[in-house]
Amino acid sequence: MKVKVLYFASARDLTAVNEESVRLPDGTTVAELLKEVVRAHPGLKRLEPSIRVSVNFQLVDGASTLCDGDEVGILPPVAGG
Amino acid sequence: MKRPTPVTRKPIDIDRVMASVRDDSAGGTVVFLGTVRKKSEGKAVRGLTYEVYKEMAERKMGEIEAAVRERWPVVGMAIVHRYGSLEVGEISVVVAVSCEHRAEAFEACRYAIEAIKKSLPLWKKERFKGGDESWVKGSAIVK
Repeated sequence: MKVKVLYFASARDLTAVNEESVRLPDGTTVAELLKEVVRAHPGLKRLEPSIRVSVNFQLVDGASTLCDGDEVGILPPVAGG
Repeated sequence: MKRPTPVTRKPIDIDRVMASVRDDSAGGTVVFLGTVRKKSEGKAVRGLTYEVYKEMAERKMGEIEAAVRERWPVVGMAIVHRYGSLEVGEISVVVAVSCEHRAEAFEACRYAIEAIKKSLPLWKKERFKGGDESWVKGSAIVK
């Protein structure tokens, strides 16, 4: 399956990627994807503990399972307002 | 009154936001404005650049409004957040809440702005005088 991964703010700066398509085995969890993403972009390592992940615009935890076509957001610490 | 666009690159028109929550059954309206400060931790700021995950932020704003309406008897409510490049003094966020009575309007508005800070996928980069830029550290997003 394939998912679309979006990088925001400092995560984008560290990966130098806005978005990419990632091919994964069926049943991959969010935690597994994040590990894979950090492996592909080692610059993200220092940010990893504070990264949260959204799937189809909802925050999810690491145990969630991904599906083909999901839109995954790599969200560094937020500072709105 | 027409609802304002919740996530916008354009300068926020306060009068329009206020008009969208105005109602004859409301006796109190509380408005919070967030504005770009000229100093951050002692350093002179030229402006802020906001980045947003727009689709997610819009959904989350809807959820925040729904949560507020569940807790307080809100008559009118609007949240607008700007993104892109802002100069010192410009408005970055508006929360407007009208209720029958002021006490619940104050509480509801406060709740909403705190939720916005913690749970919207928004980031800001400070542009300092002299040319340095850096992302504001922030904290991990919560539901």
